[in-house]
Amino acid sequence: MAYGEKLIDHYENPRNIGSMDKHATDVGTGLVGAPACGDVMKLQIKVSSEGIIEDAKFKTFGCGSAIASSSLVTEWVKGKTLDEAEGIKNTQIAQHLALPPVKIHCSVLAEDAIKAAIADYRKKSGKAQNVQTASEPATVAAQ
Amino acid sequence: MTAQPAPTSDRAPASAACWSCSGTLDRDGLFCESCGALQPPRIVDHFVRFGLPAAFDIAIPALDRRYFELQRRMHPDRFAARLPKEREYSLQHAANLNDAFQTLKAPVRRAEYLLALKGRPMRGSGQETVDDEEILVHAMAMREALAEANTPAAADAVVADACAQFERVTKDLAAAFAANDLAAAARQTLRLKYLDKFVEDARERRRP
Repeated sequence: MAYGEKLIDHYENPRNIGSMDKHATDVGTGLVGAPACGDVMKLQIKVSSEGIIEDAKFKTFGCGSAIASSSLVTEWVKGKTLDEAEGIKNTQIAQHLALPPVKIHCSVLAEDAIKAAIADYRKKSGKAQNVQTASEPATVAAQ
Repeated sequence: MTAQPAPTSDRAPASAACWSCSGTLDRDGLFCESCGALQPPRIVDHFVRFGLPAAFDIAIPALDRRYFELQRRMHPDRFAARLPKEREYSLQHAANLNDAFQTLKAPVRRAEYLLALKGRPMRGSGQETVDDEEILVHAMAMREALAEANTPAAADAVVADACAQFERVTKDLAAAFAANDLAAAARQTLRLKYLDKFVEDARERRRP
């Protein structure tokens, strides 16, 4: 089977491999898996106070297509707003890398990973705001 | 890959009349007692096909014995000189037996099949993705440990640990099925599937 040049490039020179502190409030972590292949994919984003994705890292154990898909997504999301990044579709990933039909699910995994990372960031930042607002009345009560 | 199991209502025995002579069938519904003709395969689940209870904890020696016995009796070579219809049936029987045996023999496939049979198919059976954090964090840690193992002995130790985990999870899975706790069974099956794939990949890599 002939794989596309872009796929091989991302597989041989993966971008943005690594980890961030998953407990940091400006970091969102998405962890997803495809049990049929034994794949595990972790994708993390660092979000600025303006809601722009400043940095992205990934760690994937799986086939070449899964590694290339996650590498590509980390490259794509940098500089994007959360809403823009959330709009990334697996079909765009599959098309860009020219994934063969049997490897389409690898692009689904990457889409699910970025969506999970965004959801995790939103949940955390929402919680951080709630803590702030919740602490205000408490301060008032203490006075 | 995961064939949908036949509904449980099909576990009932087949109607008993030979297609060739309308005679009575044997106990298994495989042959006619009057003319000896081979009967068409029935639509039954894999457990029924081997006369086993629909449970996770099945006796593997009994499964093996039953499989080889049936495979011998249904073998297409035995029907070379029989009617075309019987030759066709024997091929179908042989294919069904193989499929059923492969599914029930392997713990992960047996568990997935049983979950589907009980109406609670596991997420991640086909191409779907899963997000069970604990299981995925663990799966990633194992992959990292294997990647970091820089001697054959260290890699073997990682694999041996995974095999020990496989045994433990299989026991937990059997207990979940025995208690009919299908949610727990589905989770243990996912765990087992990751371990299974891990050991397979690790051994593949060790092969010269």
